[in-house]
Amino acid sequence: MTEVTLSKVVKKYGQHQAVHGIDLDIQDGEFVVLVGPSGCGKSTTLRMIAGLEDISGGDVTIGGRVVNDLPPRERNISMVFQNYALYPHMTVRENLGFSLKIAKRPEQEIVKAVDEAAGILGLDELMDRKPAALSGGQRQRVAMGRAIVRHPDVFLFDEPLSNLDAKLRTQMRVEIKKLHQKVESTIIYVTHDQVEAMTLADRIVLMRDGHIVQVGTPLELFNRPVDTFVATFIGSPPMNLVDGVVQGETIVLNGSISVPLPVTAGPLTNGQAVKFGFRADNLMPIGHAVEEEGAVHELDLSVTLTEPLGTETLLFTNLAGVEVQAKMFNPRPVTPGEQLQFRLMLDKCHVFDAKSGQAVRG
Amino acid sequence: MDRNQSHRNRRRVLKTLHLTALFLTMMIICIPGLWIVLNSFRPTVEIMAKPPVWVPSFTLDHYRAMFAGAGEGGVPVFSYFRNSLIVSVTSTLIAILIGMSGGYAFARYRFKGKNGYFVGLMLFRAVPGVALSLPLFIVFAKVGIIDTHFGLILAYVAMNVPFTIWLTDGFFRQIPKELHEAAEIDGCTRWQAFWQVEFPVARSGVASAAIFAFLTSWNEFALASQLTRSVGSKTMPVGLLDFTAEFTINWGGMCALAVLMIVPALILTFIVQKHLIAGLTFGGVKG
Amino acid sequence: MTRRRLPEWLVLLLPAIIVIAAVVLIPLLFSLYSSFTPYKLTRPSTLWKWVGTYNYEKILSDAKFWAAFGRTVLFLTIVLNVELLLGLGIALMMNKVTWGQRTLRTILMFPMMFSPILVGFQFKFIFNDNIGLVNNALQSMGFNVALPWLVDGKLAMFSIMFAEIWMSTSVFAILILAGLFAMPRDPLEAAKVDGCTPWQSFRHITLPFLMPFIYIAMTIRSLDVARAYDIVQIMTGGGPARRTELLWTLMSRTGYVDARMGLANAMGYVSILLSILFTIYFFRKLSAARAELGMAG
Repeated sequence: MTEVTLSKVVKKYGQHQAVHGIDLDIQDGEFVVLVGPSGCGKSTTLRMIAGLEDISGGDVTIGGRVVNDLPPRERNISMVFQNYALYPHMTVRENLGFSLKIAKRPEQEIVKAVDEAAGILGLDELMDRKPAALSGGQRQRVAMGRAIVRHPDVFLFDEPLSNLDAKLRTQMRVEIKKLHQKVESTIIYVTHDQVEAMTLADRIVLMRDGHIVQVGTPLELFNRPVDTFVATFIGSPPMNLVDGVVQGETIVLNGSISVPLPVTAGPLTNGQAVKFGFRADNLMPIGHAVEEEGAVHELDLSVTLTEPLGTETLLFTNLAGVEVQAKMFNPRPVTPGEQLQFRLMLDKCHVFDAKSGQAVRG
Repeated sequence: MDRNQSHRNRRRVLKTLHLTALFLTMMIICIPGLWIVLNSFRPTVEIMAKPPVWVPSFTLDHYRAMFAGAGEGGVPVFSYFRNSLIVSVTSTLIAILIGMSGGYAFARYRFKGKNGYFVGLMLFRAVPGVALSLPLFIVFAKVGIIDTHFGLILAYVAMNVPFTIWLTDGFFRQIPKELHEAAEIDGCTRWQAFWQVEFPVARSGVASAAIFAFLTSWNEFALASQLTRSVGSKTMPVGLLDFTAEFTINWGGMCALAVLMIVPALILTFIVQKHLIAGLTFGGVKG
Repeated sequence: MTRRRLPEWLVLLLPAIIVIAAVVLIPLLFSLYSSFTPYKLTRPSTLWKWVGTYNYEKILSDAKFWAAFGRTVLFLTIVLNVELLLGLGIALMMNKVTWGQRTLRTILMFPMMFSPILVGFQFKFIFNDNIGLVNNALQSMGFNVALPWLVDGKLAMFSIMFAEIWMSTSVFAILILAGLFAMPRDPLEAAKVDGCTPWQSFRHITLPFLMPFIYIAMTIRSLDVARAYDIVQIMTGGGPARRTELLWTLMSRTGYVDARMGLANAMGYVSILLSILFTIYFFRKLSAARAELGMAG
């Protein structure tokens, strides 16, 4: 079947190295999302898999076959581009059927495949229009249709939703997920948006500066980030981080407030400089919290700003001189300056080494 | 690995072919011009030598003769150069002013039969110079402006206006309408808005149109050869023929004059080469 | 009382219209009239004698005219096609170059700055059978020949075409190159992924995109196809024995050497129609190609 393997893949542009020896195994039928800030090498990696960029070092294999020097047409892949990349001089029908026409498939087969793809994506009404006469969402759908018509071994998506408005993006996200359930092909998807990564992926590959930082399921990355970068990149709002120093069984935050060491923390030495991390969901005002098992630490904090979101309200408060965010469930109106008593769920807190940023976990 | 290897090999072969073809093309483009320059510095004896002399010697004789005004054939090159310069510069300036105003009209106003006017103007540009030179010769002779700078300037202005309109129209259309509207709200008259806001923005486009007009005038032969007769008005392209006597041709002298003709054109084109391409494509594609 | 004022657009266009009317339209009307007279420069009174379509009938039944006409059409067909193909090839090659592209592009613009008369002279020199570069080079390489480049009818035609192509291929190359620069990369990459070989990508994606640029080049070129007159005039003057006679040289010979203005003007009208037909044809193609890509408006 179609596994995709990268081993020690390197990309250099002259002196500049964009991708530093990446290793990655992608299973057949898996939905893998490459995510990271812009310039992290995720798109370059995808384009190397597609054959649109030369590989400076290492091997790319698709379905057990080394494809380093093969042109894209011999890789049996299809790709959806950020700017749709529709052929402006062809109608939607011609756009969809183009790859099959190039492969010299019989006319009947082309018509059948095109109609099928059009049906899946709801393009039937638009078949004779040119791309210039389509809206952004419609173009996006045609681009996806063009990809599925060929029944490729691997689908590649390069930031396909970044040109759409927020509402349409949510809608297309669902369609892509449905598409994956239907075609059951391997999908490699690049985005800079962590929400897309979380919602779509079987497995997330988080990249930074040409290196892979962490690979895992969305929940693994969310619950067990390997360092502060992952912790702040995944999840919204980003994880709160407060500087602190280990003192016995407690951490003193910025020399003022001390909290007990979380039981999940690994071996720490006395006096070690750390970053103490927790998510907004785990700092809740008493009476408006989600009740959970586990150790709890109580804190008196004053609210500086509120952001009501409906089912919950984000509270901005000040913890040891650092602005942190907390969540209030079943919210009531809060005025800035109000003092509230908060519960910190110690079992869900993280400790990172201040110097390396690596998580210290038992 | 076999397929990978064969793809790699093919890429290498293609690269070599590509570089070779590119090199040959550049040679074919460069050699004729360089040959002229080279020969303008060689003594006539050497140019005519049989068997050919491949190692060139160096002399400035042809240039000396040329600027002395009376070389072998007594060709007053200096006057020709001056005539060319006067005619080309003046006609370019006038053509730009007239063409720019026309181009602006096409870019900014809606009026009935706009496309008709436009195509009509362009078609006048398509009239071959030779075909126009016959009647123009007679009309100019009747009016008494044959063999004058004025006559030639007038002819070149008419020749350059349509193309200038085409180019400037394209450039003005690139400039958002809001720009002059904003200027007018800021208190400009339409006239001020044009000169203070739109003209500076379109300057590079106007410059490229000017270069085209200048080159056309500077290089034109068919009209000039009929409308000019004497030393006082002949331009360089016409003067080039002075070096051809009935049976002999003064090759060295012609080469020197050719160099004199091409140098100003070269310098000008280098200065604005970027805008030149932009001018042509803006005018055409996005129109 | 308010005076009726001309609309602004007309005021702006008026100078252009006046100049063109004075310098092009009136002479053309005059020449149209004179093409119906036996006008001879040497005998001005002939201008007032009306002969109807005599001149046109004469040229239409003149074998020399038809030979020149046919040769002109053939010349234009060959030259424009070769220029297009070479220009396309050069542009594609330049587009692949990764270093020194600016320098190469500047060199490419060289021939565009040359006066046609200069190009003619330059190749008259290079193709000279006695002292020309081509024959000298051939002889130095050991071929003991002196090919009569400008003396033999067929070779002369070839030499003239070579000069014309040398001069004008750049127009195509530069404009097509501009088109390649303006081309979005995505569709090309999509085509690669869709399974196109380089040739198929070119045929189905690149070429349709370049069509408007090709037609601009064609339109610009067809505006001044008559520049070939300068080249022919200086290289062969229409000779040897009229073997390279084009419509334009025949016309100027009839008008200036034989002084038969009426007849020459009739020919002039045929050549004007030819130029205009070429221009309109490509202009319409350009509009159609633009609409195809959704660039109109």
